[in-house]
Amino acid sequence: KRRKVKFPKDHEVMIQILKDMGITEYEPRVVNQMLEFTYRYVTTIIEDAKIYASHAKKSNVDADDVKLAIQCRMDQSFTSPPPRDFLLDVARQKNQMPLPLIKPYSGPRLPPDRYCLTAPNYRLKSVQKKVTPSTNRISVPRLSVGGVSSRPATPTLGAPSVQTVTKVTAPVSLTNQRFTVQIPPASQTSTTKPTTASTPAVSNVLINPSLIGSKNILITTSMVSQGDSLKRKHEDDDDYDNL
Amino acid sequence: MAAVQGGLVDAVEEKTIKSEPVADATANNSANDARAPSSSPGSGVSPGVNKPAAGAAEDQQTLLAVLQFLRKNNLSESVEILRREAGLPEDSLDQKGGDSTGTGLGGPEADGRTDAGSLLSRVTVSSSAPSKAVAEDQPDVNVVLSAYSQQGDPALYEVYYSGLKKFIETVLDCHRAELSQVFYPLFVHMYLELVYNNHENKAKAFFEKFSGDQECYYQDDLRVLCSLTKKEHMRGNETLLDFRTSKFVLRISRDSYQLLKRHLQERQNNQIWNIIQEHLYIDIFDGMPRSKGQIDAMSGSLAGEAKREANKAKVYYGLLKEPEIELPLDDEDEEAENEEGKPKKKKPKKDNMGSKSKKQDPNAPSQTRIPLPELKDSDKLDKIMNMKEATKRIRLGPDNLPSICFYSFLNAYQGLTAVDLTDDSSLIAGGFADSTVRVWSVTPKKLRKVKSAADLNMIDKESDDVLERIMDEKTASESKILYGHSGPVYGISFSPDRNYLLSSSEDGTIRLWSLQTFTCLVGYKGHNYPVWDTQFSPHGYYFVSGGHDRVARLWATDHYQPLRMFSGHLADITCTRFHPNSNYVVTGSSDRTIRLWDVLNGNCVRIFTGHKGPIHALAFSPNGKFLASGATDGRVLLWDIGHGLMVGELKGHTDTIYSLRFSRDSEILASGSMDNTVRLWDATKAFDLETDDFTAATGHIHLQDNSQELLLGSYMTKSTPVIHLHFTRRNLLLAAGGYNP
Repeated sequence: KRRKVKFPKDHEVMIQILKDMGITEYEPRVVNQMLEFTYRYVTTIIEDAKIYASHAKKSNVDADDVKLAIQCRMDQSFTSPPPRDFLLDVARQKNQMPLPLIKPYSGPRLPPDRYCLTAPNYRLKSVQKKVTPSTNRISVPRLSVGGVSSRPATPTLGAPSVQTVTKVTAPVSLTNQRFTVQIPPASQTSTTKPTTASTPAVSNVLINPSLIGSKNILITTSMVSQGDSLKRKHEDDDDYDNL
Repeated sequence: MAAVQGGLVDAVEEKTIKSEPVADATANNSANDARAPSSSPGSGVSPGVNKPAAGAAEDQQTLLAVLQFLRKNNLSESVEILRREAGLPEDSLDQKGGDSTGTGLGGPEADGRTDAGSLLSRVTVSSSAPSKAVAEDQPDVNVVLSAYSQQGDPALYEVYYSGLKKFIETVLDCHRAELSQVFYPLFVHMYLELVYNNHENKAKAFFEKFSGDQECYYQDDLRVLCSLTKKEHMRGNETLLDFRTSKFVLRISRDSYQLLKRHLQERQNNQIWNIIQEHLYIDIFDGMPRSKGQIDAMSGSLAGEAKREANKAKVYYGLLKEPEIELPLDDEDEEAENEEGKPKKKKPKKDNMGSKSKKQDPNAPSQTRIPLPELKDSDKLDKIMNMKEATKRIRLGPDNLPSICFYSFLNAYQGLTAVDLTDDSSLIAGGFADSTVRVWSVTPKKLRKVKSAADLNMIDKESDDVLERIMDEKTASESKILYGHSGPVYGISFSPDRNYLLSSSEDGTIRLWSLQTFTCLVGYKGHNYPVWDTQFSPHGYYFVSGGHDRVARLWATDHYQPLRMFSGHLADITCTRFHPNSNYVVTGSSDRTIRLWDVLNGNCVRIFTGHKGPIHALAFSPNGKFLASGATDGRVLLWDIGHGLMVGELKGHTDTIYSLRFSRDSEILASGSMDNTVRLWDATKAFDLETDDFTAATGHIHLQDNSQELLLGSYMTKSTPVIHLHFTRRNLLLAAGGYNP
């Protein structure tokens, strides 16, 4: 269909380029996107070239500067995959090693924890010694963990509203962590509101690091829970958990 | 003269091969292989005699080049040591220098020792175009390291090419089709040589004149070439660089080859002959020349066809033996089959079942060929379920077509990039361009997350329905969204035990998600470029991925680095699939070839060429013997893995085929495409053929043009491209795509 609208010259040039490369069907905004990319790329190159020219104490920017600028940018942003002979070499080395045997009965087969994304990536700051009027409160233990790097698989405990959650940035290996879990003494009953999070008294429990970091996240804090004070919301769980 | 020239080119060629190992994973020492077929039928004795001399000269040349390089960099001690150890005479260096400066424009002198010198001088002249002082020893090293060491006069390229064209047009009909195969690789290499040596205008003129003569299926490549006019343009294009350094394989009958060789060697200007020797691998066979149709069926890939020995390795395409499973005694299970002849407690079976299972299928790999995970109880339950469903399976056929249930993803706005279904069809997952992965439940049963650790502690672990109790009812929902990738998700795959989901994305990572907690467990980093496809193995634990970096990697879920790297393709790998016995991986690529890789040692055991566009769909038949592939050219090609041959071609689709699937008993092949149709083909008839010895030996295929008879039905959707197909265990066909109004 014939276009009645006249586009700016750059736009026409880009349309012609698309046609030359064999692209016949495209949304109209593609041309704008291509032009934007072109402007940004050319501007970056020319600015780099100006810097190189002034570094070489030249008054004008000439072709060599531009070539140098293009080359540097290409190594930075437009990298290409490694060359074939290199890949063949690496492949040969890798393929010589026999396939590792599979250990039976090892639960979910995942890489060592430092290569997984299963560690919590937050640390809860503890709020000490807040006195609560009533003892019929949900007591939520706090888990404080040293620096970890990635998103949690399941938060093993609910995030109470009073606490501040600090995101720890420095990645630290989990195996050397000391985990302190503050678990309030047994307050049996559950309430419907899990959000109150004050604890009358706290006790520190040290968890053996070898227990945590196992691949089965289900057993982390259950091993150390004292009593059944770790309940949160239990409206309809009674059916299941009646012993 | 010609023989000596041939020997010299051999020498230079071997040198370049040494510095850039071009050897494919399969063909070791392809340089020598190339020399053998191309020179042995020709001039008989003389190349053989010249070979040792040329070999020695070539070694000398390399050593001298290295010496010069060391000297140039003022590594005098190394120079001394090398000279001493190599036993080179003191004056060799100076003489070399003298040669390159003195003789200058010396033409090719056929004179023993100075052959190497004159060759070098010819090259130093051509590459001294950036008029530096010719005393510079740099050009020698460039000679050794560059793939284009020969250069004729650029103005004459057109003449050479036209000459060849005229010759081929005058040749006998039966030979013409075969010799025309030479045009395309020759054209590309000559064009690239002109560009590489900075003859931009000549290159453009050459292109203008001859690009129209090439076969229509090379048009896409030519378009890319057209935009490449300077040497700098070639730098970033890995595919073209690989094309330059690898050999384009042609299969030509002996008679046609003799004709060509005689013609080229009797002329004075052997430029074309040099290029052919350097860049083409001519796989000669004895027998009838092939017809144009046969050649067209097999050609189209970026690397030519496959050498015959590339497809000769033994492939264990049989299925692994099913493990013994003790069936639970169940009253409704009257027809439940027993596997492996294990006698049921009610009815002890006789030995006939036992004998059937004890005989090992010679084409099947042994159980321990590659380590596979052991069968857990849940897997055994799954298998039992599978067997029960199998008894209720509908037998399909030309008169009993499957019903098709189509799942349209609405409001995807062209963002749906990948779909997968679990084997029992209970879950469907979609990968999207906004980098999310969404999982839906196909059955009315909702998706639930596992309870938190605290709650899990409370439940009764001994109860029968503990697997229900560990699920948290509060998190029940129809669908779950998984966030984590930072780029569009191009590949998605469920694990066979429905515990894990894999997704591969443009950000270069592959993520393993748990379907119990709906969170991300691992990110596998290895490809640094978009990963176009990934798939779990049918036995779980292993998965394969392929992407833009032209390698496919085999991973295991508990290793953060890949176990195998399958390298050999010239362009991106667009599709990766496991064989049903998990011992082989097939990859389809943008270089229009399909390669079958052995998981055990990473070797490429089959190369299938014939598609004219990037391959986007691959499917193994359930019995493991056959492979079906679909590409952007709209054709489905059928391959016999054991013999390594094309056995069928299904024409009908008008646009890219994105999905292929065999029905559960291999009766029907379903194909889904961008042209918004699902087509059903008769697979039993398509594969019902005997491959005779002649075909197996020579690789000449005779395809029947029976696509119309094999097409059983064509079903249109309302503007929804079909990107996934899945046969349920009862042979109901499910299809999925994003609605695209």
